[in-house]
Amino acid sequence: MAILQRECEILSHEQLSGTTWRIELSAKDIACLVQPGQFIHLRIPEFEEHILRRPFSVFQADSNTHVIRIVYRVVGEGTRRMTELACGDTVDIMGPIGNGWHLPNGARRVLIIGAGVGAAPVYELAKQGQNNGMDVTVVLGAQTHAELVFEKPYLDLGVDVICATDDGSYGFAGFCTDAALEAVDAAKTAGEPFDYCAVCGPYPVMRIAASFCREKGIPCEVSMERRMACGIGACLSCVLDTTDGKKRSCVDGPVFDANEVKW
Amino acid sequence: MVEMGQVSLHVDIAGLHMKNPVTVGSGTFAAGREYSDFIDVSKLGAVTTKGVSLHGWPGNDGTRIAETPSGMLNSIGLQNPGVDHLMEEDLPWLNERGATIIVNVAGHSVDEYAQVIERLENASLDAYEVNISCPNVDGGGMSFGADPALASEVISACRSRTNRPLIAKLTPNVTDITLIAKAVQDAGADAVSLINTVCGMAIDANTRRSILARGIGGLSGPAIKPIALGMVWQCYKAIDIPIIGMGGIRSGLDAVEFLLAGARAVSVGTANFIDPCAAMQVIEGIERYCVDQGVSDVNELVGALEW
Ligand SMILES: Cc1cc2nc3c(=O)[nH]c(=O)nc-3n(C[C@H](O)[C@H](O)[C@H](O)COP(=O)(O)OP(=O)(O)OC[C@H]3O[C@@H](n4cnc5c(N)ncnc54)[C@H](O)[C@@H]3O)c2cc1C
Ligand SMILES: Cc1cc2nc3c(=O)[nH]c(=O)nc-3n(C[C@H](O)[C@H](O)[C@H](O)COP(=O)(O)O)c2cc1C
Ligand code: FES
Repeated sequence: MAILQRECEILSHEQLSGTTWRIELSAKDIACLVQPGQFIHLRIPEFEEHILRRPFSVFQADSNTHVIRIVYRVVGEGTRRMTELACGDTVDIMGPIGNGWHLPNGARRVLIIGAGVGAAPVYELAKQGQNNGMDVTVVLGAQTHAELVFEKPYLDLGVDVICATDDGSYGFAGFCTDAALEAVDAAKTAGEPFDYCAVCGPYPVMRIAASFCREKGIPCEVSMERRMACGIGACLSCVLDTTDGKKRSCVDGPVFDANEVKW
Repeated sequence: MVEMGQVSLHVDIAGLHMKNPVTVGSGTFAAGREYSDFIDVSKLGAVTTKGVSLHGWPGNDGTRIAETPSGMLNSIGLQNPGVDHLMEEDLPWLNERGATIIVNVAGHSVDEYAQVIERLENASLDAYEVNISCPNVDGGGMSFGADPALASEVISACRSRTNRPLIAKLTPNVTDITLIAKAVQDAGADAVSLINTVCGMAIDANTRRSILARGIGGLSGPAIKPIALGMVWQCYKAIDIPIIGMGGIRSGLDAVEFLLAGARAVSVGTANFIDPCAAMQVIEGIERYCVDQGVSDVNELVGALEW
């Protein structure tokens, strides 16, 4: 599948919480091609001293309006500079890139775990499951209620949403992996176990979820983050150890079968 | 008056005919396939492939890269699937597209370099670039390129296996690069390419850890351009064989600076990560410079630095 490079106009840019922002781009044909779980490789304008692009997963894509949205957390100099971008500015992006989620055709009950901004790359997957008549449960995790910025878009989709906050300020008090495990056990007891799980978030969240899914026999996929240079599979900067040797997380991932990852 | 399209861009590197003076930095372009959405590889002066060893190497553990001011550190460790894979998968693909091919060769021993070239003698390709300069592998790599006697041993062994154009790729991590350049010239190299990456380190003060898993890596990108230019100029004065210059080239003007310092061709490396079309932009920029300066043949620029 071809990777495109496009100059894209920023249509809107909004701060969602203290550290989280949502940016809306007129992404032309990229918006039509992007599959759930894929990402774009973005060059931050007027940031010359920083030469590398920054990878961001696509949160929402609309093939009719050609709009894509990404949600990003400010963690360093690049993302801080991004907050200064204004509507009407243009950014150079490459995409869509990577191997996305593989929602099994026959799945009936789908569990999606999105911790922090990890809730962004699973939105289109939840929508796909919902549109295919699957029973979708989304567990959202954040440190505090204020940082829990994804509840509304998921509720609007009509999927089941379970929120967990580390500080107990909203929803389930504790880690989202504990909330997810409860949901897994409840589903099993009710005789309708999950038959697919997708996880995106910090490494420990994915490792814990991958581990209980393996124990319970639920097929599980995870989206791995690695530092990237080219973003198109050429430089081998982003490799990940798998049971099948080293793989490039940009084009062989970022989504991997959890059993394939050497945790 | 010269116009776009009329400038003669062809250069000859000791029998390696390049339709323009621009190739790509080994290891930044794989074997071209990944860039085919963006670039027609036959339009490049040459494609230089990722370093290849006899049976392949797994490369280093991650984290393998770090962004640094105007540059990046890498510690890929020459991960490659081996020469047979290159011959079966990559060279046919490049040949089908009519690309000019420089194969970058790596080894842990003098014998391994020679054996890789022996294997490749049956394949269709245009030149070898012998990497005696990688800072990221234990044994071989840079240790060969940092000692004139060892460098000349590797190049002699390769020379005895091939009549094709043989380019020695030099490391900047030495006290006097002209000594190595002269040694490989005497050992039979037809050309030199320089520079490979500059040794360096990045540390995260908050975690008190090295960002690269191996600690030391190789610095590339605009940050190293002045080092590279200086070394090209020093070598140009010291040796008679052609030079392929590289290190931080992003634009046509960057490339012209290397030509003026004495390079006959240039490589675009890290800039491919900034923009996958960078190499094409460099070619166009060189041509544009020639038009603006009334230069009808790019070879006129080689070593044309004025005082
Ligand atoms: C496939 C993929 C999808 C991603 N999707 C999102 C998303 O939807 N929302 C979001 O907020 N973040 C996402 N990230 C993480 C995002 O790329 C980093 O937060 C961002 O690159 C940090 O840049 P910086 O300049 O602010 O940080 P700095 O720390 O200043 O950056 C220094 C270097 O490290 C790299 N880097 C730092 N943190 C990461 C990281 N976690 N992953 C990869 N590279 C990193 C940077 O790209 C840069 O090269 C994703 C990462 C990957 C690999
Ligand atoms: C990720 C990466 C991988 C590289 N791999 C190789 C390699 O396999 N063989 C080699 O001779 N040089 C290798 N190099 C060095 C480049 O070919 C080039 O000499 C160097 O990066 C300087 O040029 P630049 O600043 O334009 O990148 C690599 C550089 C980078 C950044
Ligand atoms: S980032 Fe270059 S291979 Fe993945």
